[in-house]
Amino acid sequence: MFDFDKLDRAIHEKGRLAIMTLLAAQRSWSFQDLKAELKMSDGNLVTHLRTLHKAGLVSMTKEVTDRPQTSYALTVRGRAAFKEYIQVLEQIVKAGKR
Amino acid sequence: MANDRDRAEQDLRVIRSLMERATTYRAISAPTALCGAVLAIAAAFFINKDETRPRSFVVIWLGVLVLVLCANTLFVWREATRAGRPFFSASMKMAIRAVTPCLIIPLALTMWYLTTGYLGAQELLLVAIWIAFYGLALLATSFFAPRSLVVLGWCFLLSALAIPIVASNAPEEISALQLPNVLMAVTFGGYHLIYALCTWRRKGAEEPPNA
Repeated sequence: MFDFDKLDRAIHEKGRLAIMTLLAAQRSWSFQDLKAELKMSDGNLVTHLRTLHKAGLVSMTKEVTDRPQTSYALTVRGRAAFKEYIQVLEQIVKAGKR
Repeated sequence: MANDRDRAEQDLRVIRSLMERATTYRAISAPTALCGAVLAIAAAFFINKDETRPRSFVVIWLGVLVLVLCANTLFVWREATRAGRPFFSASMKMAIRAVTPCLIIPLALTMWYLTTGYLGAQELLLVAIWIAFYGLALLATSFFAPRSLVVLGWCFLLSALAIPIVASNAPEEISALQLPNVLMAVTFGGYHLIYALCTWRRKGAEEPPNA
């Protein structure tokens, strides 16, 4: 029997998983880029990003050029957690095929 | 158990498709290709009637390049504004980093041609370099470019390879002076036109990356 507690609860949600995936694919994403790519509302995206930030999986950088912009990236811990999450998913799929 | 497996499989599919989408970047959009094709064909017709060559040959083609870059800037800016994204996106920076090394030799050779190279009427060599390195620049983006762009890159590269064969077997109607111009019209004009027509309908649904 598989231990589902191994799945990171912070990542194991559709919206947050999508955010983590984009951040894993590309080093840094601005809030606007994430919003456009995921087609999420501002409030929804902010809530998910806050959860991931509180869990220490995502870092946040605020900069002001011509207008204020917030960029997000995976922390070292976030990248490791995402990798581990995928491995757990793969194990679930394998275990189900046996 | 079956439900957990289904959910895990679904999650993995979502991860894969999102990663592919996030890492795909089309360095040449269909409107830019169409604009480039029309300008290239127009320039080729104009040059064909021009008897004052050879320096003006390069000047006109550089003019085409500048116009296409301006048009591309406009298209990218419009798209970025519409989507509320920064003009210099991370993907664009990645594409610029990938293609820049491939542009050094064509740039140096063009400078040489404009200063002394034109005296030896080395247009065919210059055109071969432009076509070859443009193909290489497109192929340098292959790890994040859609398949159609990689195919376009190969078409340019293979065309450059075929230039010596074409030059020695060119029909009599095409003089040695006209050949470089014809090659530019066929590659930069014709190939971009085909690429624009093939990719225009996919603008809404982006094709998967080459990987």
